[in-house]
Amino acid sequence: MSITEINTPEASISMAQQLAACEQEIQKGIIGQKEIIRQVMLAMLTGGNVLLEGMPGLGKTRLVSTISKVFDLSFKRIQFTPDLMPSDVTGTNIIVKNEQGSSFSFEKGPIFANLILADEINRATPKTQSALLEAMQEHTVTVGNDSHKLEEPFLVLATQNPIENEGTYPLPEAQLDRFMFKILVEFPSKEELKGIVTLTEGAQAPVIEKKLDGQGLLAAREMVNVIPIADAVMDYLLDLVMETHAPNPYIKEGASPRAAQALIRGAKAKAFLEGRLNVSFKDVEEMAYPVLRHRIIPSFDAISEGISEDRIIAGILEKKKPSV
Amino acid sequence: MRQKEFTDVIKACRRRLNMAGFLKFLVSALAVGAGAGILFLAVSFVMPFYHALHFALAALGLAVAAALFCAWVKRRNMQQAALVMDSFGFQERIITAYENLDKKEPLLQMQREDAMKELEKHKGRIVIPLLPRGRSLALTATLLAAMLVLAVLPSEMKDRAAELHRLKEQAEEKQEEIQEVVEGLEELTQETLTPEQLAALQEMMESLAASMEEYQQADSQGTLADANEKLAYKYENMAEQLFQMAQDMPAGTPMAAQSAAAMENLAQNMQQMSGAQYLASNQGQNSQNGQNGQNGQNGQNGQNGQNSQNGQNGQNGQNGQNGQNGQNGQNGQNGQNGQNGQNGQNGQNGQNGQNGQGGQNGQGTGSGAGRGTGSSDTEHDYVSVPNAIADSGNLTGNATDHDDSEFFRVQNGLSWEGKHISHEAVIGSYERNAYEGIAAGRYPSGMEEVIKEYFAGFN
Repeated sequence: MSITEINTPEASISMAQQLAACEQEIQKGIIGQKEIIRQVMLAMLTGGNVLLEGMPGLGKTRLVSTISKVFDLSFKRIQFTPDLMPSDVTGTNIIVKNEQGSSFSFEKGPIFANLILADEINRATPKTQSALLEAMQEHTVTVGNDSHKLEEPFLVLATQNPIENEGTYPLPEAQLDRFMFKILVEFPSKEELKGIVTLTEGAQAPVIEKKLDGQGLLAAREMVNVIPIADAVMDYLLDLVMETHAPNPYIKEGASPRAAQALIRGAKAKAFLEGRLNVSFKDVEEMAYPVLRHRIIPSFDAISEGISEDRIIAGILEKKKPSV
Repeated sequence: MRQKEFTDVIKACRRRLNMAGFLKFLVSALAVGAGAGILFLAVSFVMPFYHALHFALAALGLAVAAALFCAWVKRRNMQQAALVMDSFGFQERIITAYENLDKKEPLLQMQREDAMKELEKHKGRIVIPLLPRGRSLALTATLLAAMLVLAVLPSEMKDRAAELHRLKEQAEEKQEEIQEVVEGLEELTQETLTPEQLAALQEMMESLAASMEEYQQADSQGTLADANEKLAYKYENMAEQLFQMAQDMPAGTPMAAQSAAAMENLAQNMQQMSGAQYLASNQGQNSQNGQNGQNGQNGQNGQNGQNSQNGQNGQNGQNGQNGQNGQNGQNGQNGQNGQNGQNGQNGQNGQNGQNGQGGQNGQGTGSGAGRGTGSSDTEHDYVSVPNAIADSGNLTGNATDHDDSEFFRVQNGLSWEGKHISHEAVIGSYERNAYEGIAAGRYPSGMEEVIKEYFAGFN
C-alpha cells in the first residue's frame, strides 16, 4: 500500500477501525491492564521498543504472545540469564559440511523474529545486553563481517523485575534510551484478578484471532508518521524535554533528544488510535510518563527522599503548562 | 463548514478575545490610576497642591493609554485565538487545521474537515466573557468613586492652593513684564552712553532683578502687594532717571538722538506701568483687607487711628478711622493704613470675608501692606537695616545725624526717602510682629531662626 493509497479518508477510517479491533482482540486474552495494552499498541504503531517493568506473573509474556497472534507476527522469547552469551541472542556462524566440503553458515538466533520478548533482561551480562543494541536501533544484526537485516516489523519487548536486584546487571543509560517506552505493569485489581483466574483456569481458553498483519501494521505506521502537529503543541513538547535539563534538585541527568522523537511519535500514534488526525496537548502529557521515566536519571536527593521518576515528571508537567 | 467560515469564526473569536483583553487591562489600569489619583487628591488636603485634580485626571488618562498599549502589545493573533478555541474541548484540532489551511495533502485535508465538523457541531462550547471578574470591577468602581468624592470635597488647603496659584500667575506676569523692561534697558546700553549712565542702567537692571526675585518668592497677597508697590516705586524713579539721562544725551549725533528717544519711550512705559502697579497694589490690599473686613472688630482698633495724628499726613488720620487693620492701627503712625481702611470696605464685599478665621492672619499681613501703601504720594518710612546705615555716610540724613533720609542711590541699591525714625521706637513692635509671624508659620521653613537671631542682635 503506497502513501497516497493509505492517506485516503477510507483507508484512514478502515485502519483506525482495524486497530481498534486489534486492541479489543488483545483484551480478550489479557484481562484488565487496558492502559498497558494501549501503550504497547502505541509502541507497535511507532516501531519503538518497550521495557516492561513489573512483578513476575503479571501476564507480560502472555501479553506479547497475544499481540503476536493478533498481528500475525512471529514471536520469540529469550530468557536472559547471567550465562547467556551474545551469540545465543544473535546467532552464530557454524561449520556445515556439504558436497563442496565444509563452509561457514550463519545460524540465526532467536532475535530473528518480528516480536522478541527479552525476559528479565537485567539478569544477563552487559555484554549480552548490548548484543540487542544494534538490533533495537538499526534492525540489523552483525556477525563477523556480515550484517543481517531483521524482518519488519521488528519490536523488542523486554521485561525486568523491580525487586530481586541481587545478581542483576542494571541496563546502562545508552541501552535504556533505545527503549521508546518504559511501561510499569501494576498489580491487577481484585475484579481483574478474578477475570484472569476465570480465564486461565477455566475449561476453555479464548481463541485469539488475527486482526491485522505485519504489512497492515507498517501501513498504519506510515499514516501515523504524517499526522500533523501544531507549532504550539510541538513547542510544548520540546519545553517538556528541555525542562528535564533545567536545574532541578531531583534530576541528575535529563532526557536525550531521542525522548523528543519518542514523544512526537507516541503522541501522534495516540491521536491516531483515538481517531484524531492531530496531536493535542493531552496526548503529549500522557506520553510524557512512559517516554521520560527511564530517560531521567534521578539525583541522590530524589533517591534518598523516595521521589520516583513519575513524580518528577508530574512536577515538570505541573510547571510547564500549555500556553493558551 | 467552508474554509472562509472557519477562518471567520476564528477571527470573531480573536476580536472578542482582544476586546476582553483590553477591558481587563483597562479595569486594572484604571484601578491603579484611580489609586494614584486618590494619592494626589489626598495630598491636596494636607498641603497646597493646586494641580492635584489635573494630576489625578492625568493618572487616569495615563491608565487608559497604558491599557490601550498593553492591549495592543498583548493582542492575540489568529493562532492564539485558535488555541484558545481549542481549550474548549477541541483537542488542538482548530490550531492544527488553521496552520495547515493552505496545504493539499489528503491527510491534512481530512484533519481540516474533521476540525471544521467538530467546530460546527460544538461551536456553542466556546464562551469568552468580555468583562473581567466582578471583584476587579467592584474594586475599580470603588476607587473611582473615592477619587470623585475627594475631587469635589472642599477644603481650606484647596482654597489656599488656588490662591497661591493665582499669586503665582500674577507674579509670573510681573516677571515677564520686568523681563521686557530689562531687555529694553539692555538695548539702551550703547556706546553713546557715558560710564556713569551705563552704571546707572546696570544698577536699574540689578534692581529689577531683585524685584523679579521678590516676585518669585511672593507667597501671599501681602508680599505680592509689597513687591508691586516696590516695583511701582522703582519704575517711577527709573522713569525719572531715564528722562534725565535722555535730556543729558549729547545732541547732534543720530545715535544719541535715537538712544534718547528710546530712553524716553521706556521711561513713559515705566511711568504707565508704575501707575498700573499702584492700582494692582491697592487691589491686592483690597482683597487682603477684605479678609480683615470680617474682622470688623478691628475697627475698634480704630483708636489707633488716633495714632494717625502722629502720621505726617492728615489724610492718614481719616483713614485711621477705618482702622480695620487692628495691629496695623499701631502702624497708624504711618497713616498708610488709612488707605487700607478704605479698602476694608471693599473687603466686606469680598468673598474672603467668609474666612473669618483668616482675619487673624489678615491682621498681621495688613500690617505689612499698610506701611507700603501710604507711600503713594507721601514720604516713605522704609526703615533700612540699622547696622547697614549707621554712620555709613552713604545716606543723607543717616543715623548719625538722626535726620530724615532722602531718596538716594548707593552702591548696594536704592535707599528710600522718608522720615527717620529711631529703630528703638519701632523695634519692639517689629519684633512682636515677627514673632507672631513665626508663630503663625508665615515665614519659610528655616528662616525662623534667622529672624530670631536678627532681633536678638538688637538686645
